[in-house]
Amino acid sequence: MEDGFRLGDRVFRSRLLLGTGKFSSVETMLAAVRASGAELVTVALRRFNRERADDDIYGPLAAMPGITLMPNTSGAMNAREAVRAALLGREITGSPFVKLEIHPNPHHLMPDPIETYEAAVSLVKEGFFVLPYISADPVLARRLEDAGCAAVMPLGSAIGSGQGLATLSMLQVIIRDAGVPAIVDAGLRSPSEAAAVMEMGGDAVLVNSAIAAAEDPELMAEAFATAVKAGRQARRAGLMPRSETAIATSPLTAFLAGEGS
Amino acid sequence: MTELELDVGRWVSRARGASRDLVRQAIAVTDPGLREFAILLSPAAGLELEAMAARAQALTRRHFGRTISLYAPLYLSNYCPTKCTYCGFASDRRIQRHKLTPAEMDSESGALKRLGIEEVLLLTGDRLRTAGYEFVRDGVARAASRFHTVSAEVFAMTASEYAGLAAAGCTAVTLYQETYDPVRYARLHESGPKADYAWRLDAPARALEGGLRSVGLGVLLGLSDPLEDVLRLFRHAVWLRRRFWGGGVSISFPRVRPQSGDYAADFPVGERLLAQIVFAFRIAMPDVTLVLSTRESPRFRDGIAGVGISKMSVASRTTVGGYAETTAPSSPQFEIDDERGVEEFCAMLRASGLQPVFKNWDAVYREPECLTSSAST
Repeated sequence: MEDGFRLGDRVFRSRLLLGTGKFSSVETMLAAVRASGAELVTVALRRFNRERADDDIYGPLAAMPGITLMPNTSGAMNAREAVRAALLGREITGSPFVKLEIHPNPHHLMPDPIETYEAAVSLVKEGFFVLPYISADPVLARRLEDAGCAAVMPLGSAIGSGQGLATLSMLQVIIRDAGVPAIVDAGLRSPSEAAAVMEMGGDAVLVNSAIAAAEDPELMAEAFATAVKAGRQARRAGLMPRSETAIATSPLTAFLAGEGS
Repeated sequence: MTELELDVGRWVSRARGASRDLVRQAIAVTDPGLREFAILLSPAAGLELEAMAARAQALTRRHFGRTISLYAPLYLSNYCPTKCTYCGFASDRRIQRHKLTPAEMDSESGALKRLGIEEVLLLTGDRLRTAGYEFVRDGVARAASRFHTVSAEVFAMTASEYAGLAAAGCTAVTLYQETYDPVRYARLHESGPKADYAWRLDAPARALEGGLRSVGLGVLLGLSDPLEDVLRLFRHAVWLRRRFWGGGVSISFPRVRPQSGDYAADFPVGERLLAQIVFAFRIAMPDVTLVLSTRESPRFRDGIAGVGISKMSVASRTTVGGYAETTAPSSPQFEIDDERGVEEFCAMLRASGLQPVFKNWDAVYREPECLTSSAST
């Protein structure tokens, strides 16, 4: 059986989504995308440059076969800006997907839950498949799902922080309760963290900094792909239950064996 | 903000007496603050530049990736009513003055666009009736119809004037305090609007109040004791970030350069100390944009790109205009050191494993009414 996951009207086989910022060159970025096997790739509208080809990261990605592009609204500080960016992104790329990012603080880049919710409602009405980037807040995740989002994208930790799954216990609640795909986005540093997300039932992960900032981005992209596959396989195989203590050889309930049945 | 909020007395003595052990701890700490920043500025830290550079590079990569954002300055006017002792545009200098006409502004913009520039920083002298708020605002609107990002390095304004700049399409305002020492400040700014220290000190806060997305801060290194000035600059940045949670702060590192009046720095800052200050900022403020201009030499710029610095100017002219051949001639504000063109500079960045980024913003993030008004200007 094909082990894909559905986003909007499409089924994706690769559960590794890639971000495309921060790379040392467009060539390195493209090599990493290829090595990752990613089918869904996000690209910031602010990095589209139709006037200087060697500064444009959209054109080369659009020319890559087998890739679905998802413009993102990074740079938007409120719902109005994000909606405008999403509409322009769709006009240029033709993609029905949008990664909704609204971070009013340019330093820590934490997503604004109120503006994100407002923008999500508008963009769903506009017919987008909306993937909102959010703090690991189980209530917000459900509210966005109810608003019609195609997935939720809670953060593992702050963007670019490499702090991994700092929000683990909240992610577990979101993943357990989500009726749409839960994609862990931001903060991952190592492939083992991506595998951990898959093992605990996450539908996919989105990685950017960990690959772009690695010494060898292409090799790191491949490492993440392998880890995501391994984690997903482990989830499907069924992990043995974790036990806090060893199982006693003389069971505490042995005395109950004497009662006749 | 008040003098008390800028007090750094005990941090200065802490920095002067720091040991190498303390420096090593400060480099490694995961949540650095003013204490660590002070230690990183110490003479002892000057002996640990290699370790500071390694940490600064790792943090720059983590937050900004392997990229350098590029911008170019465009001087709109060099008329100035103020006598700043150190400035080539000071009112008592006999220099060739000029103010861009709208037509010249368009040809300058066109020339910059042909270089691939998408972020332009507009500059003027201090406030004049003939080169005042409306002149700057109209310049912003005109530039916003061509460039995705427009910022301004101009005289201190009122909050409502800053709101007007934001509405015209301005993203950020840069305003160096020059020196945070009020006594030195008074001596260096003898007359004119800029002589008002407090009005200038509170200008970045008024800019954020007025709706600018970000403010650029800095001291002109060489004017005053660098340790005290840089510590106060850090406190100013921290204060702004706390007060304006949605506002951005960036830091620049200008040094006194040779200019027409032959002012020599009273507190010269060498390259090693300059690098140390950049590394200290990066380590203590990992997520803040750090900017370096073409005042510095190609050797220094090549070395520090991506090692703390995340944004750089390129192909700069410090004359009024200077990119288009048709603009009337004028004198420069100061001499630049890195005279390389865009392509040569980008080739160096790429060879160092850094991607030059020309466009890191989009005009779509401006309010539509501002787009309409600037398009019709």
